[in-house]
Amino acid sequence: MVNKLGQMKIQQMIFMVLAVGLLFLLVGLIFLSVAFRNLKESATNLAEKDSMLLVSKLANSPEFSCGNAFGTSRINCVDFDKLMALKENIEKYSSFWRVAKIEIRKIVPSSEVECKKENYPNCGVIKVLDLQVDSLTSSSVFISLCRKEVNEFGFYDKCELARLVVAAEDKT
Amino acid sequence: MNKKGQEEMVGFAVILVIVAIIFLVVIGFVVKVPNKSNLESYEVESFLGAGLQYTTDCEDYSGFMDIQKLVSYCGEENLCLDGRDSCEVLNSTLNQLINSSWNVGEKSPIKGYKLQIKTGEKEILSLFGGNETYNSKGDFNEFSDKGKKYEVSLVLHS
Repeated sequence: MVNKLGQMKIQQMIFMVLAVGLLFLLVGLIFLSVAFRNLKESATNLAEKDSMLLVSKLANSPEFSCGNAFGTSRINCVDFDKLMALKENIEKYSSFWRVAKIEIRKIVPSSEVECKKENYPNCGVIKVLDLQVDSLTSSSVFISLCRKEVNEFGFYDKCELARLVVAAEDKT
Repeated sequence: MNKKGQEEMVGFAVILVIVAIIFLVVIGFVVKVPNKSNLESYEVESFLGAGLQYTTDCEDYSGFMDIQKLVSYCGEENLCLDGRDSCEVLNSTLNQLINSSWNVGEKSPIKGYKLQIKTGEKEILSLFGGNETYNSKGDFNEFSDKGKKYEVSLVLHS
């Protein structure tokens, strides 16, 4: 009788240990899936933060900035002529900034016409880089898009308001 | 035997409490929502910087003026070469820039704005739009021309 009671107690304990083990395994699995989801989210956030940091300094990089071409050195000033030249030779820069998309959109005056050699400067969207891949939420800053214009009195500086848009590649 | 039953009940209760705590922790992880603002302060900063460089259609003897030059021109109460009031041109140009750049409205993330241009204590221009809220982001830009200091500030309410 005592022996049977002992066996039953051992069985009971084994069932209990199994149940608690399964429970912890289940909780562990839920925790791991949440942790992995957070990891994906942090990777996405980091990529977005990277593109945000890049966009804030891209306008002042030598490939984009006006330099001293329009009088004194200006902040957030992008040279329209330089941009068109860069667009023509973008294959040399395709992996330089490690982003999926770099685009400039004129705000004032606004236009949806894509800029090409033929319609320059009467256009509104300059697609500098487009890798044609899935991209994350884009970051943007306002820039002054400047070029040399000519009228009956000679050359003058013409600056328009535009947005520089950068989007990182979605690797998730 | 009665005591043994009580012990098992206490054990069961302890396990229930442990499981409840673990579930609460897991739910806490799942429900955590990242806090992200729709409006970044660098956008306001870049708008002011780029906006001041915008070339207007108001001309003086040296050519078309940018907003920065037009601000000091308006501060001196000068007229454009074509006879228009420089302050009126400044007002309409800034209105156009703001309305094209920011989508201001009750259903939009930006509920209102306030742009002010001052020299010392004197207000040169002030533009308002939408509603004022307690949540705002803003920036200012200072520059000097002909010995006068000008301050352009923009506050966006979200």
